[in-house]
Amino acid sequence: MKMENMLFSGPDPTKLEGLVHDIYSELVDDACLGLCFEVHRAVKQGYFFLDETDQESMKEFEIVDQPGVDIFGQVYNQWKNKECECPNCKRLIAASRFAPHLEKCLGMGRNSSRIANRRLATNNNVSKSESDQEDNDDLNDNDWSYGAEKKAKKRKSDKNQNSPRRSKSLKHKNGELGSNITSEPYKFSSQYNYNPGVNYETLGPDEVRSLLTTQCGVISEHTKKMCTRPPFPDAGATTVENDSFDIPDTQTLMHRLQWEDSPDISPADSASSKASTNHSDSRKPKKKKPTSGLSSGGVGSLTGGSSSSSSSSSQINVSLANKKKRPKLSAPLIPTIYNELN
Amino acid sequence: MNKDSQMRAAINQKLIEMGERERLKELLRTKLVECGWKDQMKAHCKDVIREKGLEHVTVEDLVTEVTPKGRALVPDSVKKELLQRIRAFLAQHATL
Repeated sequence: MKMENMLFSGPDPTKLEGLVHDIYSELVDDACLGLCFEVHRAVKQGYFFLDETDQESMKEFEIVDQPGVDIFGQVYNQWKNKECECPNCKRLIAASRFAPHLEKCLGMGRNSSRIANRRLATNNNVSKSESDQEDNDDLNDNDWSYGAEKKAKKRKSDKNQNSPRRSKSLKHKNGELGSNITSEPYKFSSQYNYNPGVNYETLGPDEVRSLLTTQCGVISEHTKKMCTRPPFPDAGATTVENDSFDIPDTQTLMHRLQWEDSPDISPADSASSKASTNHSDSRKPKKKKPTSGLSSGGVGSLTGGSSSSSSSSSQINVSLANKKKRPKLSAPLIPTIYNELN
Repeated sequence: MNKDSQMRAAINQKLIEMGERERLKELLRTKLVECGWKDQMKAHCKDVIREKGLEHVTVEDLVTEVTPKGRALVPDSVKKELLQRIRAFLAQHATL
């Protein structure tokens, strides 16, 4: 106690500072001594100069201190400008773009299917005008093939269902719908002739119908796999309104069957009427083919022949499908059909 | 003078008892490694050893060669921080 009292009262600041420095020096000396012991032991044990034994590798791995180069002597973006050959499309792609390119090319990335489908849509728009003439002939010359016909039709309706973008692109081709439709089925059938994984041609009508009512059924161009998504409804239908169509459907059908040239369904603004319009127009060039009747309630409707049957069958499709989506579009659809009757 | 040395002894004792000395030592060692002091000293040791001959180096040789240089090579920042901590300790505990 006394000593401690003496401690504080006694020392001058200078003495205290001297003491602090002394303590510090002791600590530094301890550190140096520790280092000496460590080094001495390493020398005596023989491992002190171990990292200097191989002169060659010492020169090889010497630290590099040049601008533009890291300490190993490697250039930073040496591989940026290299080109790699894509195993899929055999093109030379820049290294930094290689991974995203592979994604799109192999059709396996997150957005690759969307982009591919969009590209298909624009390709169809672009090339339809070019291939008009020969497509008509080709279609007419095609032998009646159940699968091909169905496939083409199905592909068309799938395109319409899946996204608003597609329906938009179809909308713009209002006046050219006829030629558009003729070219599209041709395109799709040629696409499918290109060896799909799931071959629609080999499946019978019932199988196809059951398949396509439960799944989307679109076959990817790249991977040849069938899309297993549950099908979207045809636009523009609600429960109540569609039920009432069941009976008048046959009547409208009779009316329509009598008409040779059903006039073009009035261009409507909605995607739904576009869908029915497309179906009806697609029937025109195929009048030569036998009508398989209305009984097919399947989504991939199998009718050839008159446009009206297809449009009403598309109505039936609508009634079967989930009706919760796009109730707003049902309004334009209804006057369209009745306008025709009048 | 007696008081002085007594005082010093007392303070040193307190440092050790409270574990502060160990902490300070560890702190210093860490800082010296971080700032590269240790590598510098090792390189110097290599020179000394090559000079003296690998087989005949003794601890005393090393100590006498290395310590003065070691003291000089400690960076100012490290020195300042350590002094600060010692002063703080003294201020806190010397009054008790």
